[in-house]
Amino acid sequence: MILSGFPRFIRCRVSPLSQNLKQPNNYLQTLSHSTHHHGIVSCLSTIPSKPISSSQLQIPLFLREPIYSATVSDLEKWKNWAKTLVYSVGSKFLETDNGPEVNTLYREIQWLLEDVVVEEQRVSTEEKVVKLRTEMDQLYFLWKQRIEKRRPFQYIVGCEHWRDLILCVQEGVLIPRPETAKIVELVQEVVAKDKGLREGLWADLGTGSGALAIAIGKVLGTQGKVIATDLSPIAASVAEFNVKRYDLQDKVEIRQGSWLEPLEDAKGKLAGLVSNPPYIPSDQILGLQAEVGKHEPRLALDGGENGMDDLLHLCEGAASMLKPGGFYAFETNGEKQSKFLVNFMMNHPKSMFQDVRILADFAGIERFVTGFCQ
Amino acid sequence: MECLQSLPTSLGIPHVTLYSKNQRIQRLANPNNPFRKTTPIHSPLFSNYIFPITPSNLNPSRFSSSSTTVKFAVPENQSSVGVSETDEWAMQDFYTFRKDVEMTMERVTEIRRSSGLEKLQEDLTALENKAADSTLWDNQAKAQETLLALTEVKDKIKMLTDFKSQVEDADMIVKLTEEMDSVDTELVEEAKNTIRNLNKALDSFELTQLLSGPYDKEGAVISITAGAGGTDAQDWADMLLRMYIRWGEKQRYKTRVTEKSMGEEAGIKSATLELEGSYAYGYLSGEKGTHRIVRQSPFNSKGLRQTSFSGVEIMPLLPEDSASVEIPEEDLEISFSRAGGKGGQNVNKIESAVRMVHIPTGVAVRCTEERSQLQNKAKALSRLKAKLLIIALEQRASEIKEIRGDAVKAEWGQQIRNYVFHPYKLVKDVRTGLETSDIASVMDGELEPFIKAYLKFKYSNSR
Repeated sequence: MILSGFPRFIRCRVSPLSQNLKQPNNYLQTLSHSTHHHGIVSCLSTIPSKPISSSQLQIPLFLREPIYSATVSDLEKWKNWAKTLVYSVGSKFLETDNGPEVNTLYREIQWLLEDVVVEEQRVSTEEKVVKLRTEMDQLYFLWKQRIEKRRPFQYIVGCEHWRDLILCVQEGVLIPRPETAKIVELVQEVVAKDKGLREGLWADLGTGSGALAIAIGKVLGTQGKVIATDLSPIAASVAEFNVKRYDLQDKVEIRQGSWLEPLEDAKGKLAGLVSNPPYIPSDQILGLQAEVGKHEPRLALDGGENGMDDLLHLCEGAASMLKPGGFYAFETNGEKQSKFLVNFMMNHPKSMFQDVRILADFAGIERFVTGFCQ
Repeated sequence: MECLQSLPTSLGIPHVTLYSKNQRIQRLANPNNPFRKTTPIHSPLFSNYIFPITPSNLNPSRFSSSSTTVKFAVPENQSSVGVSETDEWAMQDFYTFRKDVEMTMERVTEIRRSSGLEKLQEDLTALENKAADSTLWDNQAKAQETLLALTEVKDKIKMLTDFKSQVEDADMIVKLTEEMDSVDTELVEEAKNTIRNLNKALDSFELTQLLSGPYDKEGAVISITAGAGGTDAQDWADMLLRMYIRWGEKQRYKTRVTEKSMGEEAGIKSATLELEGSYAYGYLSGEKGTHRIVRQSPFNSKGLRQTSFSGVEIMPLLPEDSASVEIPEEDLEISFSRAGGKGGQNVNKIESAVRMVHIPTGVAVRCTEERSQLQNKAKALSRLKAKLLIIALEQRASEIKEIRGDAVKAEWGQQIRNYVFHPYKLVKDVRTGLETSDIASVMDGELEPFIKAYLKFKYSNSR
């Protein structure tokens, strides 16, 4: 969200040479100054194009102190109200933009309660009081946002359960997708076979919430390390927060900056490189499911005219960053992009890649391009 | 007897109210009697009358068929007892007590006989020899096993010995009273207590005998699926879910609806309920099958009578890593719910359902309740294993490989109980023949009579 207001051309110019543009921080802080005093809630309800302060990390619901309380019947009342809202939606979201339908939203109600209510009451004694991590009023407010503004569930609760991790997320940070988890499996496979890779230095470019970096950090050997970069200061600080939560500070280092720029010192030394860069063609952003198009950071989604800008940039960089035998894996928008990328790699005059493959995600879409450096 | 202690208190004796033949006659004569068949029951209806806690209410004859003279101690009796009648009342009370002691004596003898006391003694000797062996600790695991078995056998023998000595003590008091020709109220009261507690212990003992399957001690996973019948069936599935939730809450199990898929108009398409606590699986295992409802459907615009079905599956709630079966990867077909469209960054859906099919048997599970795909996958695998283990057990197959896939479907779909709401009210178990007209209580979770009847039915069939 934070940078989604940036015209595309600015981001395009964030090239390895334009050091002076590496500081979106200052720019942002000036911009966000005016919205600062509104506090968290107003920031959430503002239109996504208004940036929020990068220092303002939101604590996800499940990590907040349970200092509020409510009776079980109050909660029931809320639940019924929330369900009524869901039923009024019916299949409307699904039909307009492939959005969530009743059962999905219904499950979200359950999960929201899971994150907010300290101990769910089992025997229904109506007047029994339970501890909450947020106020009752806020619960109403949040669910209203979910339905009326289509604010993503993960931003509402402030986290996403991804693989075996619970990753904190907030506006301005891409919510990790289940498809991306496959990259971790691929890394697991190669490091199991090769000690050099297992104990080497890895990079996750455009890490967002830090999902890939943390998961890979956990599968590497004792010597193995990950450097994760992200241009967005919010993403960088959220990723930092997640790394700390998993106590991986010694293993995963977050560096703020564009793609490979913060990795100058690691040139030619990388054992592995992974990335889930923005790959959606610019003209398709508007037609996306509202949760994505209206709320998630454009910076993390928009891959330029044909969606390949960043993928191609990374491909070119990968050759110089990886050491011989190094592994890479990229996520793409599907078959067309994957094939284009493979073609680009194989026919590039300075191509140094071998064993280049296209792999499908769990839904059968040819989503990943992997290979090794010669 | 560790397992005895770990029985949930609510399943212990207070609920086990048993009736003797005379009581049955009285109950049968009662037009309000909801249970036409003779079966131990616990129904709120009865809580209006059985009470003074005298041994007369503790029927010792669970498995024996001999009768006792038992009186209902109705409130009038108590209030109308005059001074002149006190002695007579005491004597009557004593006779009742004497009868109870006789009954309990028979019961203890029967239990001691059927428990194979001699065999237990042999086992004890063998285990004691093993435990005394100097090589015992060469194999730590084996040693632990031996010592555990030894304790179990010892406890069981001690329990059976205690049963005998307690009933003999009470019998002594009966004989003493007869000789002295007068009632020592204090002494008799104490003996009554002994008999009452003894009968409780005997009830628990019998129950654990019924629940001796390898997974009976575990918690349970109930999964309910609406069958044929459209919205009416989906509503019926929801009613069943409520019924099991109430049952679980009454047993003080930790009850959790982990998955629920709503029907379009009303009710549910499917739901999964987890019950944590001792013996949940043992009690519920007999609930597996198709449950049929007949009623005037509120979803039928013509108000016609309609029949709908819902399927209930019961699996033990096994800790994720405890199921010791390994299923080869190639035997599994795993599919994930798809975000639809282009996936990846284009879509954000929390749906992370995993469906897993065991190809050789066709047994399938679906897991949607966890918040990440990986967790759903782990849980689905664990459920699939539990399901396969149970099927293997039922088919008496020693390995998953031996499961006959064709038999699985038929078994799972067997109709086990009818719930008729209209034109008359009746719940009838197809297997045990137990029936009641008090359908409201059943739907409110009063499943004890059906569960116990089935356990006994299964037990007597297996012998």
